[in-house]
Amino acid sequence: MTDLQTEPNERLETKTSTATSIVSMLFRFQSLFGLVAVFIVAVLLSPVRDGANIFVSSDNLFNVVRAVSEIGIIAVGMTFVILIGGIDLSVGAVLGLAAVGSAVLMVNDDFGMWPAILIVLAAGLVFGLLQGIASAVFGIQAFIVTLAGLQIARGIARIWSGGQGVAIAYGDGPGEAPVSFSLLGERTFNGLVPIPAIIFVVIAVLAILFLRTSAFARHVFAIGGNEKAARLSGVPVTRVKVIVFGLCGLLSALAGVIHAGQLNQGGPNDGSGYELDAIAAVVIGGTSLSGGRGSVVGTVAGALLLGVLNNILALRNVDPNVQLLVKGLVIVAAAGLQRLRPAS
Amino acid sequence: MDIAVDDAVAALVEMTGVRKSYGGALACRDIDFTLRAGEVHALLGENGAGKSTLMKILAGEITDHEGMVAIDGTPVRFTSPVDAQHAGIAMIHQELDLVPGLSVAENIFLGREPRTRLGTVDVRRMYRETRELLAATGVALDPRRPVGELRTGEQQLVTIAKALGLDARVLIMDEPSSALSQAEVEQLFVVVEELRKAGTGIVYISHRMEEIGRIADRATVLRNGQVVAEFDARAMTAAQAAEAMVGRSVQTLFHTEGGEPGEIVLEIDDLVVHAGRVRPGRREPNGITLTVRAGEIVGLTGLLGAGRTELLETLFGAGSRGRWSGRILLDGKPIHPRKPRTALKLGMAMVPEDRRIAGLALEHSVHANTVLSIVDRLAVAGVAVRAKETGAVREMVERLKIKLRSIRDAVGTLSGGNQQKVVFGRALLTEPKLLLLDEPTRGVDIGAKAEIYQLLGTAAEQGIAVLLASSELAELVGVCDRVIVLRDGRSVAELDTRQAGEADLLAASMGVAEPGTDSTIAADMVELAESPAGEGTS
Amino acid sequence: MPRRLPIAVALAATAALALSACGTTHENSGQGGSSAGQAPANCKGPSGHYLIGMSQANNAEPYREQMNKDIQNAAKAIPQFEVKISDAAADDSKQVSDVENFLTQQIDLLIISPNEATPLTAVVKKAYDKGIPVLVLDRKVDGDAYTEFIGGDNVDIGRQAGEHMKKLFPNGAKIAEIRGLAGSTPAKERQDGFAKGIEGGNIDIVATVDGDWLRDKGQAQAEAVIQAHPEIQAIYSQNDPMGEGAYLALKAAGKEKTVKVTGIDGLPIPSGGIKSVEQGRLAATFVYPTGGKEAIAAAKTLLIDCKTVPKTQTLPTQLVTKDNAADVYAKANS
Repeated sequence: MTDLQTEPNERLETKTSTATSIVSMLFRFQSLFGLVAVFIVAVLLSPVRDGANIFVSSDNLFNVVRAVSEIGIIAVGMTFVILIGGIDLSVGAVLGLAAVGSAVLMVNDDFGMWPAILIVLAAGLVFGLLQGIASAVFGIQAFIVTLAGLQIARGIARIWSGGQGVAIAYGDGPGEAPVSFSLLGERTFNGLVPIPAIIFVVIAVLAILFLRTSAFARHVFAIGGNEKAARLSGVPVTRVKVIVFGLCGLLSALAGVIHAGQLNQGGPNDGSGYELDAIAAVVIGGTSLSGGRGSVVGTVAGALLLGVLNNILALRNVDPNVQLLVKGLVIVAAAGLQRLRPAS
Repeated sequence: MDIAVDDAVAALVEMTGVRKSYGGALACRDIDFTLRAGEVHALLGENGAGKSTLMKILAGEITDHEGMVAIDGTPVRFTSPVDAQHAGIAMIHQELDLVPGLSVAENIFLGREPRTRLGTVDVRRMYRETRELLAATGVALDPRRPVGELRTGEQQLVTIAKALGLDARVLIMDEPSSALSQAEVEQLFVVVEELRKAGTGIVYISHRMEEIGRIADRATVLRNGQVVAEFDARAMTAAQAAEAMVGRSVQTLFHTEGGEPGEIVLEIDDLVVHAGRVRPGRREPNGITLTVRAGEIVGLTGLLGAGRTELLETLFGAGSRGRWSGRILLDGKPIHPRKPRTALKLGMAMVPEDRRIAGLALEHSVHANTVLSIVDRLAVAGVAVRAKETGAVREMVERLKIKLRSIRDAVGTLSGGNQQKVVFGRALLTEPKLLLLDEPTRGVDIGAKAEIYQLLGTAAEQGIAVLLASSELAELVGVCDRVIVLRDGRSVAELDTRQAGEADLLAASMGVAEPGTDSTIAADMVELAESPAGEGTS
Repeated sequence: MPRRLPIAVALAATAALALSACGTTHENSGQGGSSAGQAPANCKGPSGHYLIGMSQANNAEPYREQMNKDIQNAAKAIPQFEVKISDAAADDSKQVSDVENFLTQQIDLLIISPNEATPLTAVVKKAYDKGIPVLVLDRKVDGDAYTEFIGGDNVDIGRQAGEHMKKLFPNGAKIAEIRGLAGSTPAKERQDGFAKGIEGGNIDIVATVDGDWLRDKGQAQAEAVIQAHPEIQAIYSQNDPMGEGAYLALKAAGKEKTVKVTGIDGLPIPSGGIKSVEQGRLAATFVYPTGGKEAIAAAKTLLIDCKTVPKTQTLPTQLVTKDNAADVYAKANS
């Protein structure tokens, strides 16, 4: 083609490209816009008491963040797993295992707070790494590996706890957990900001930066985009996959520690079904289940969107059964929007 | 010729004033196109010239177009591919639309499985007819084998067999030969010839000029969505066609002048791979001996299934796991890479066979794809430095003349040739000593092809050793200094391209003791191709 | 499935001794005086309008669904009350959020049927400390930061089931026991109570199996028991669904006429134990009351009458046999 011929075309293309780039940006930050939209709807629908909109009260908003903090932290880990084209169904069970572990170690075995937390986090990391090895090295599908992992983690949690929730009492005596652990269930800044919410925000910011800037994250995206091409381009595919599963296990365990701190108990059945909420947050956040495309920002927005939705449905006292329906429809709508997303 | 008269006689397909735009860009601008019964009509043009769009309109895959399509003089308006199939139009796609998990027979009869009286699938009839269709296509495959196990070339033959099974009056073939070995191409031509005699109208899209000269009656050249030339295909020269396609004269397609080769970079000595798990359809190296010097381009040829790809994969640490015997020396040091990462660290880089499957993450940006192999190297303490990356990518884009709007665009939006250049760019960014190339110009238009050859030449001049596997004989003869011939996983001959021609390569590939001269080779090839060519199938 | 954690055993024992079939026992536990002083604080009398939040642990359990229904039905009679029900779907965290949301809505009274005791204690205390009266149903929370606990007594129900078994087999019998979920408190209490009830009656428990409160599990376990101990004359099932499962197993073995099954729960719904008794599949069942009606009554006492309520209200059970099943069912649904 000569330059003369292509010129008008190119001008046309640039015009359409600004339009398409706006569209693609809308899709890219779909969950952020979705969050804003749901937020506005929540403000409009919120009951008003004594002239004050109860949804936007700071107490309520911090309640929302606290309520999503555990799912949010798990969903951050899940985002990495889904980005490599995997899935982790064991996150809820690992949360339960970590909650039981925290309680048993501190209450029954008289560990200090930090040793107990470190052991539990290490256990979550190792559990995730083992799942990663089973999936990446031995080539078993992640769905199957983590489905088995779910059962195994629940089994260990039940055995460890004797089948019952282990209550955490605080104090210095034997059979009591260090008082500092109860901080996880508290709020700071005049009893306004819940500690779990702060942890969630810190994890989210770190993960966003990590995914944006690290060389490791480039490898994560590449594996999800085309695993074979990534391998042939020299990406250490197996290692990256194993680490990603380990990271997800670690974050699930962290959520479990927070869970135990918030509820003063470690129960072997805690966190059941959380894997589905986490996956929902990731999907609403615009991360493709086939891998290679997505963001932690989206996931965080997705988790908050679900939290706001839960909150406003509760504040409006919508029938719990109808609430399930609404949540299901929102997830389908978000996934449906993804299909409309342009190629680039 | 007097088209009006001809049309009155047998205008099977008549398209007039066809127009189609994507967004703001016109893919077809008022194209007129006719196809007569018993005619092979070649459609030429660079990628993006509008060939595929035009044919998709004819095949009912694109329905929101302007202009008229008439079959047997009756205007039609297809609403779906099924519609077009009912009208007797079948299309063989460049992208092989087969279901990997289903068997050859199931794929061929997908959606129109023969039934028994009880309503169950008549498996025996399905297998029998599949065997007949495959025989007509000239390939001996087990109808029960899953298509996913077949090699790309074999899959292509299955799609051709599938199209034959439709008994179409109009057959559209979009790059049917791109993954075929020369012998299979010859068999394809036999099939095409028979169809032509039976009165089928065939549209033949190809980038291979020599094929068009041999089988087409007419050739239409598209550029920028317009018809720019029409030729009598038998009288057309490659230079004429190329000029019409690119809109300027093409000087040399091939980089030919060989510099002085340097030290031996790669030395393979009787390499044999005993795969731990035998994978069907693979031909592991079974006695390979060759050398590649710095600044030298060495070709690998052989029939489909001779083991070209497997050899490159083995060198790059991406082959089958298993025991080795023999030696591979890189710069005189024995190596045994078990994963591509190691191979890259040793100074090798590879451009794999199918860029869509093994080369690129199509949804990701040009930037991400280009820089992937050196992401860790450019990073500081694990943090990617965007500016350094962008610099490297931009430099590569300039050096390889990659046409794009922005390096942040998805690589899938580029033309095939530019996509391939991105894969090249990634390999070159690793600053390799040895470049392994597997079918680097497949599905690439003629302009981009020439640029890729130029690029190879430059790489060689800079002292990179290049090992190039290709099924295009003209490419091997034109680009390589030497060509190694593989047969059944063995290196059986080495030819110097200053003396040997395409015919010699082909003869050596097929194991003919006394290769004929250039003038008679074509007839020999057809004959040879009619006997099963030993494709590694049982 | 009833995974309930009722009141402390000591309390239960006294309650069991004190109560007979005549009705509700009110008892002031005397732990802290807060309950006495609290009711009037929120009380606006009959002219007020009251928002009551009911935090349910898990709507999917028929027993808890019945509890919701009882609360709604009772509240209909009191025009000043508006009841909102939330469902925690058996998730402690969700239930904490549910209560927080109720607090945001500034409810006047909280009714909670906790999923588990310890995890809900903190948030219940938060509500209680804000001066909101808290009625805890069926399963207690830790400590005493609540206004009133209303619930049944599993030990006593188990004991009555045991005594009924003695009545059915005055000359003694070999029986099997199907327990609920191993490790759950009600399973242990219903077992302990039953053991006490059959004392001195020559009732021999030849097999004890776990049915996890589930109908299908109960069926599978009963099948095995029938194979291993064909001599059994009765089955004590710790809840009705497992008893129904045992009946299916007996029927398959052709023994449904000769082996008697007793259950516990007696929900007044078509799929509940009372109907099973009426239709002859269960020999008897014992009503485990939901406390829904009593909770609304307590709310009325606190908010409208401006009076105090006792710290603990233990609900009596009722024996349901073929003779009274239809009556009990009709009365419960009236």
